[in-house]
Amino acid sequence: MTHEGSALYRILALTAVALLVGTVASLAAIAFADTVFWLNNALLISPRMRVQFGGSPYIVLAATLLAPVVGGIIVGLLIQKFSAAKRPLGPPDVIYASQMRLPLPDARSGTVSTIAAAVSIGFGASVGQYGPMVYLGSLIGSAAIKLKLQIPSISAIAMACGVAAAISTAFNAPIAGLVFAHEVILRHYSLRAFAPVTVASATGYVMANVMFDRPPLFLVEFSGVENGYEFLLFALLGIVAALIAKIYMSAILRCSRLAANLPIAAWLRPGAAGLAVGVTALWLPDVIGIGKEALRFATIEGAFTPAELALLVPAKIVLTAVCLGFGFAGGAFSPSLLIGILSGALFWNLLDGFQLFENSGIAVYAVCGMMAVTSPVIGAPLTTILIVFELTRNYDLTVGAMVAVVFSNLVAYRIFGRSLFDVQLAARGIDLSEGRDHARLAAIRVADFATSEFPSALPHECANAALDRCSPGKWNEVYVADSNGKFRGIVYRNQQIVNSDALVSEIMQPADVVFREDTDVRQAMEKFVGFVGIAAPLLSSDDRLIGIVTEADVIRAYLDTVEELRDEENASA
Amino acid sequence: MKKTLLLSSFVLAACSAPASFAEDSLVVVSWGGAYEDAQRTAILEPYAGQSGIVPSIMRHSGSLNELRDRAQAESWDVIDMQRDHAITACEQGWLLETDFRVVVSAYDGLQPEEDFVDGAFLDCSVVQNLYATVVAYDDRAYPGVKPSRINDFFDIENFPGKRALPKSPDAVLEWALLAIGVPAIQVYDLLSTDRGLRLAFRKLDEIRDSIIWWTDVSDAEKLLQDGRAAMASGFNGRFFSASHDRGAPISIVWDGRIIGYEVWAIYAKTDQEELAKEFVDFATSPAQLARLAEIIPYGPARNSAFLRIGKNSVSGTPMSDHLPNAPHHQGRAIFRDSEWYSKTASLRLRRFEDWLEGN
Repeated sequence: MTHEGSALYRILALTAVALLVGTVASLAAIAFADTVFWLNNALLISPRMRVQFGGSPYIVLAATLLAPVVGGIIVGLLIQKFSAAKRPLGPPDVIYASQMRLPLPDARSGTVSTIAAAVSIGFGASVGQYGPMVYLGSLIGSAAIKLKLQIPSISAIAMACGVAAAISTAFNAPIAGLVFAHEVILRHYSLRAFAPVTVASATGYVMANVMFDRPPLFLVEFSGVENGYEFLLFALLGIVAALIAKIYMSAILRCSRLAANLPIAAWLRPGAAGLAVGVTALWLPDVIGIGKEALRFATIEGAFTPAELALLVPAKIVLTAVCLGFGFAGGAFSPSLLIGILSGALFWNLLDGFQLFENSGIAVYAVCGMMAVTSPVIGAPLTTILIVFELTRNYDLTVGAMVAVVFSNLVAYRIFGRSLFDVQLAARGIDLSEGRDHARLAAIRVADFATSEFPSALPHECANAALDRCSPGKWNEVYVADSNGKFRGIVYRNQQIVNSDALVSEIMQPADVVFREDTDVRQAMEKFVGFVGIAAPLLSSDDRLIGIVTEADVIRAYLDTVEELRDEENASA
Repeated sequence: MKKTLLLSSFVLAACSAPASFAEDSLVVVSWGGAYEDAQRTAILEPYAGQSGIVPSIMRHSGSLNELRDRAQAESWDVIDMQRDHAITACEQGWLLETDFRVVVSAYDGLQPEEDFVDGAFLDCSVVQNLYATVVAYDDRAYPGVKPSRINDFFDIENFPGKRALPKSPDAVLEWALLAIGVPAIQVYDLLSTDRGLRLAFRKLDEIRDSIIWWTDVSDAEKLLQDGRAAMASGFNGRFFSASHDRGAPISIVWDGRIIGYEVWAIYAKTDQEELAKEFVDFATSPAQLARLAEIIPYGPARNSAFLRIGKNSVSGTPMSDHLPNAPHHQGRAIFRDSEWYSKTASLRLRRFEDWLEGN
């Protein structure tokens, strides 16, 4: 009875949390998008406003050059002065918190990062808006911990709810929101998490559609793939897209390293990147801001010449890498949509130019390219396929894009990694490539459960006397350290001691397994393979004996973690 | 002394009303044709009956140059014009700035802001009705498959025949992008870029040799009726009058309709400011807007008027069905962005003239 009662409580509580987090996250996502839209208009970033100042070209010129620079300086000051994290926060931080069962960075840093992102995008930097929205959603979700609901893994579930609602609202795509939260953030599909995340995602959809009447983002007219062999071309496009995605992601990582080594103050770096955007935009207006006009043009035959496309793709890659690397706050997702769709359009132009094959027109290739470049960036093929479906509401287009997406992911996984987020986390020492269990075990240091109460001896002591000091049954070995504390070896009780006056130093043996302060549970388990002792010595970096770690404690930590994960992944309510 | 000009067709019983005719005269400027006829019946005659003042009617073609050049000499007072033109004219100082929220009366317990459509009150004008710029076709030209999408307007192969258009970049650029497959909601965003304009004119190239230009707004239905054009761009109300009232073989393609806003504005140098305001108040009252919509299908700008629309007194047609914003019309609709229209007028005209010259 009590068990059923508690399940009912969990269901009700989680549903309430999902509704609450979903509503707030959805409203926050709408507010974020509207702020960006308003800034884009006010600062003449959006073409629709720029064209209305056609009579005064100097105003447009000044806006193009100054807005990204001023935005960059504001962002630099915000992040450096008001954020404890001193960097923009994004999806990698959410993944990290969710996978390692840790809290997000402090709420103030998160809020500052969100404001900085709105300024970045609003002032025309070449960065995306969805990463910040994901962070904002999780920030709202993480506030649910304060409710003290006593539900296992509530923190990760509530964060996932916020993320799902934000994506659902932003793309007007509830299924993609649901799947994104699982595929990227939670990385498991337990019913306990699935149900509330679905509720939150649906809430986001209701807010976007029913309350605010947001239109679908990217309707494309497409009547179907005309030739079977085109699916092979989609696969080929997927492979090409993987290479482009790899270049894009590597460029972002490289620019971060480059920026860190430049003699420019951290708060000035985004401004410098803004200058690069402004100057480039004078010649290539399509690179500034989110570029939703360019996104549409890419699906129209003849809107871009192949030469323009060949110029725009690298320009957008470099500018986005510079903006993100130099500290603008924002995501990598929206720019990858644009880079991808332009690449897809270029692919079609080359294909159609040679007239080797009959084809179904530019739209499907553009959309395939768009999703095939984006998918490896976020490391979520399923989400990407669903986003195509929900954005375009076109089944034929989705089936084509699906093929390109999986081939792109296959190749990109081999040549780069699961996603930009995962590679960024790996650079911070959190490796999720072999699964969350590995990552979580790798985060537990054996030093945390080392004991300092163990029998020890000095090398010049009499061995028998040393062994007598430890109570038989509990300890069968004595750990030897010299007067400086340096570890020397182990004397075992069951050793044959020929000479009863033998000194410790004469009969001690080297240790089979030695741990260091940074040894984690995963490494410990590997070292314990074939180990027959009870415990292993824990040494400092200068070989001093700090303590010992028992095999039983390591195994217990391992089992606890695995069980915790299993519970989380199989929880039903 | 105010010059009063009575058109010969404007015969009113109310002419006999006692009035200090010379001082309290009012010049109302409108568009002529079926629209003006409807305004006479629905607004001007009842106004004269009620106030004893017989407004004289002048005609304009919608060009702002006429407002600049003629208004003072002809003593214009109240002008029926398009919202985007009113925005430009207001900025030029040609229209009287006034708060129309105070000018118009409240009905059915609704404050004017709640009753009128969003964005109805501008600095120098108030929205009175919604009209649609549409493509209509001569039924006789297409005995088989009829045009049903705006794409068909650009499809000379399947829908041959001359296209009648006003010599202006209005509406046709939007249609060109719709025909390329741009969603209605993004049309103005894309037309704001050089690339978008290039694409639109490239689409227009496809019908370049089949275009007949019309200059007077009533030419559109005449060209169709005479068989000189197979399709024409024009206003939904006039096409309705031609087909329903006069039996012309004209049908409307609702896809791609561009819904525009018609306003009342007062000339900046009017010497009848109070009278002009009284007239605008009367002309935008729900009863008058509903009467107008019963004669010619232009959607009233206020909700209270919608509920009062009945059948056309001649044909018995239920008029709500023919309004540009009637919910059952299929296909795509664009709401004209007046602000954008006003601010981009010279750019679009320059590009249009370049295109006319073949550049």
